[in-house]
Amino acid sequence: MRTLRAFVVITVLVSAATACRARDRATPAGGTAPVRGGELVVSVRTDPQSFNWFTKRDGTTQLVTYLTQARAVRVNRVTQETEPWLAEGWTRSEDGRRYTLTLRPGIAFADGQPFTSADVVFSADAAYDEASVIADGVMVGGKRLQMTAADPRTVVITFPEPFGPGLRILDNLPIMPKHRLEPTLRAGAFGRAWGVGAPVDEVTGLGPFVLAEYVPGQRIVFTRNPRYFRKDANGVQLPYLDRVVVQIVSDQDAEVLRLQAGQVDMSGAEIRPEDYAPLRRAADAGRVQLLDLGVTYDPDSLWFNLKPGAFGGDPRAAWLQRDELRQAISLAVDRKAFVDTVFLGAAVPVWGPVTSSNKKWYSADLPHPPYDPARARQLLASIGLTDRNGDGVLEDAHGAPARFTLLTQKGITSLERGAAVIRDDLKKVGLVVDVVPLEGNTVVKSFLVDQQYDAVYFRVGTTETDPASNADYWLSSGGSHVWNLAQKTPATPWERRIDEMMARQIAALDDGERKRLFDEVQKVFAEHLPVINFAAARIYVATSTRVTNLTPTLLRPMLLWSPDTIAVKH
Amino acid sequence: MIAYVVRRALVAVLLVFAVSSASLVLTRLAPGDFVTESLGTHASREAMERMRERYGLNKSIAQQYRDWLAAAVRLDFGYSLQYDRPVRELIPERAANTAILAVTALGLATVIGLPLGVLSGSRRSGALAALVRAASVVLLSMPPLLTSLFLVFVAARTGWFPIGGMSSAAVTGGGALLDLVHHLVVPAAAVGLPLAAMLERLQAQATTDVIGEPFVLATLARGVPYSRVVWRDALKPALRPVASVYGLIVGTLLSGSFAVEVITAWPGLGKLMLDALRARDVFLVAGCAGTGAIFLAFGTLFSDLILGLVDPRARE
Repeated sequence: MRTLRAFVVITVLVSAATACRARDRATPAGGTAPVRGGELVVSVRTDPQSFNWFTKRDGTTQLVTYLTQARAVRVNRVTQETEPWLAEGWTRSEDGRRYTLTLRPGIAFADGQPFTSADVVFSADAAYDEASVIADGVMVGGKRLQMTAADPRTVVITFPEPFGPGLRILDNLPIMPKHRLEPTLRAGAFGRAWGVGAPVDEVTGLGPFVLAEYVPGQRIVFTRNPRYFRKDANGVQLPYLDRVVVQIVSDQDAEVLRLQAGQVDMSGAEIRPEDYAPLRRAADAGRVQLLDLGVTYDPDSLWFNLKPGAFGGDPRAAWLQRDELRQAISLAVDRKAFVDTVFLGAAVPVWGPVTSSNKKWYSADLPHPPYDPARARQLLASIGLTDRNGDGVLEDAHGAPARFTLLTQKGITSLERGAAVIRDDLKKVGLVVDVVPLEGNTVVKSFLVDQQYDAVYFRVGTTETDPASNADYWLSSGGSHVWNLAQKTPATPWERRIDEMMARQIAALDDGERKRLFDEVQKVFAEHLPVINFAAARIYVATSTRVTNLTPTLLRPMLLWSPDTIAVKH
Repeated sequence: MIAYVVRRALVAVLLVFAVSSASLVLTRLAPGDFVTESLGTHASREAMERMRERYGLNKSIAQQYRDWLAAAVRLDFGYSLQYDRPVRELIPERAANTAILAVTALGLATVIGLPLGVLSGSRRSGALAALVRAASVVLLSMPPLLTSLFLVFVAARTGWFPIGGMSSAAVTGGGALLDLVHHLVVPAAAVGLPLAAMLERLQAQATTDVIGEPFVLATLARGVPYSRVVWRDALKPALRPVASVYGLIVGTLLSGSFAVEVITAWPGLGKLMLDALRARDVFLVAGCAGTGAIFLAFGTLFSDLILGLVDPRARE
C-alpha cells in the first residue's frame, strides 16, 4: 500500500558528499558466519500502541509483530518474491481465483498449542472484524477473500476476482492464535485484545521471539521462541539470538549517541542527514557499520490540485490545471543541480514515481527530458503565460502574474530545501512560487480533506512495491490518487485509460503481461505528469559492528523484517 | 492556617480544570486527528469513519468536551485512544517516575545551591566565591534541554552512566535501587544543576542583603565569629526570598523535567505527553496536562506553607 502519512514521511539522507560503501542487498551484511546466542539491543522512538497489529498500525506495534508473529506466506523484502513461510506450498486453479495452501506439519505456537488451518481462517475473520485496521490490506477490489479449512493442514482461499499478485496479499496477514483470541472476537471485544496493558504471557504467536517483558516508556524484552519452526541451512535451530531488547528512546539525538556509545545495536529507522557525518566518523573508527541500502522507493513529489472546479472563479483556472504547466515545470528544474543542492549528491534524479530500486516494475524506457528552460518557456507561452510587461514575471491573458502557492512539510530538511530550489528555478522561467512550509498534518489535511490548495511538494511513503498493491494511487477512484482523490468517474481521458490498464494489470496472472501493462501506465503518466518527481534519496542505516547476518531492505522495518536470522558476534 | 490551605486548594482545583480543558480543546482543534495519524491516509474513508465513531471523534468539540467533563467529575478521564486503556491507569506510574526525578533534582538543587549561595553571598571576594558565581552563570544560561544533551554526550563518551532509561533490563531484586540511582544521575543533574545555580544566585543575594542588616552588624560588633553569624543568625531571614520563589521553581522544575525526560528517555509524564501529542490522543494529553497542573499546584502550595513557616507575615 502506498501511504501518505505525514508523520511517516521518509527522512532522507543528504549530508553525504561521498557515498558509503554499497553492499549487495541480497547478501547478508556483517561478514562472519552467524553464531547462536547473544542479545540484540534496538531503539525505537515510541511505545507500542498495542501488541495487536490488527488494531493498531504504529511502527513499534509493527516491530512487535515481526518479532512475535509469522505469516503463512511472506514477501521476501530483498528479492521482492512471494515465498511460502508457515505454508510449505500452494496450488492455483486455472482461473486464478482459488488457491489451495498446504501448511507445514508439526508447527506449534509459542505456548505449545498446535498450529492448524483453523488459525489461518480465524486470522482472516479477525482481519475483517469491525475493530480491525488491516482489512483494506487483505481485500481485493474492496471485497473479502473467502477462506475455508479443508483439513488441519489445508486452507482453500477464493479470491473475489482474479488478482495478479495472488498470495502476496497474505503478507499483510500475520497468523493469530485462534485458541487465545476467538472468545474475544466473538464477544465483539477484539479492538481491545492484546492491548499494552495485557499480561505479556497472554500474547503468543508463531514468530521467532516471545514477548517477555514490557516496561512502559522504557523497554520491551523478547526471548527466543523455543518452538519456532525454522532452522538454518545447516540445521541450526533459529532464531540465532537469545534475546531482543527494544529500548524506547524518544529523542533521535540521544538515539544516535547511544548507537555511537555502543549502548544500542541498531535503530528502528534510517539515519537522518545530519547524523551521517558523525556516524561516518564512527564507522571509520570501527565503532559502527554504515549500510547503504540504495535509492529509496519514495521520490519527492510535486502535484497540483487537479480536481475539476477547484479554481472556479479564479482566473488562474485557465492555466493552473494544464498539462503544459506541469511539463514546463519538469523541464525548468535542473535535476542534477537539485540533487547536488538538496541532497548534497546523496540522491539520484528521477522522472517518475517508480524508482530504479523497484527493479521488477521500474521502466527504464521512460523519457528523461533534460533540463531545458527555453522549451519550458515555450510551453508556458502555449497556455497564454508570457512576460507582457518585461518585468521578468509571466502574466496570463488578463495581465495577472503567473503565481501559485506551494505547500510543503515544515521540519523535513530535504522538502524545505527542495521547495526553495523549485521556487528559484521556476523564477528563472518567470513563474512566481510562494513556498508555504506547514506542519505535516496540515499539509495532509489540505489535500486530503479540504482539497483547497494550489500545489503540494511532499513525499509519499510506499509499503509495497507491487503496483497492484498500490492501486489506490494509480486508479482514479483511489484514496491515494492525490491530485484528484476518489473520483466517481475518471475526470480525464488519460485517467480513464490508466484505470483500464491498471484493471487489466491487477487481474492478469502472467508477470510479463503485468509488466507490459504497467510500463504502459507509466508512459501515460509521464506524458501527463499529474505528479512531478525530481529526486530520490539514498537511504543509510547504522548498526553496531557486532551485528552480523543482516539482510537490510528499503521497506520498514529495514533491518528487523527477518529477525530470525540476525546474529551478534560474541 | 486551615482557611489559607483551603483557599489555596480551591485555586489548585481551578488550575487543574482550566489546564486540562484547554489541552483537550486545543488538541482537538489542531489539524489532523488520531485516526489519520494512526491509519495513515491510504485507509478507506469508511474505515476511517468507523474508527472515528468508535473513538467518539465524530462528535463536535463541544459535545466531546461536555462528555469528558461529565465523566471527569466522577474521576473518569476517558480512554487513551492510542493504548485503549483508561487514562487514570496510565498516568499514575508515569507521574510517579516524574516525581522521582523532580524530587531528586529539587533535593540536589537545594543541597548544592543553598550552601553555595550562603558561601558566595557571605564572601564577596575570593577565588572560591568567584568560581561558584561563574559556574552558576554558565549553568543558568544553559536551558535544561542543552544541559541534558551535554550530559548525555559526556555519559556516552565516558561510559560512566547509562545514557537513558530508568532501569536496566538485566537487573532485578536488590540491585534495582542502585540501578535506579545509577540511571538517575544524568537526568537529575540535567534538571537539578540549573536549578541549583538559580538557588545559589538567589541565596547569595539574600545573604548579602541580610549581612548588611543592623541586627547582623550588631551581632558581629559583639565579637561573634563571622561564620557563626552567617550560618546561625543570618540564614533564616535570608531564606525568606528563596522560600517565596520555591513554588515558581517547582513549576520550572516540572517544565524542565519534561524536556529532559525526552532527551534522557526517562519514562515520565513528559515523554507520555509527547507521545500523546504526536498521536493526537486528546484524552491522554488532557490527563497529562492536568497532572502537570496538579504538580504545579502542590508545589505552589508547598512553597506557600514553607514561606508561612519561615515568615509568619505571609500567612496574613
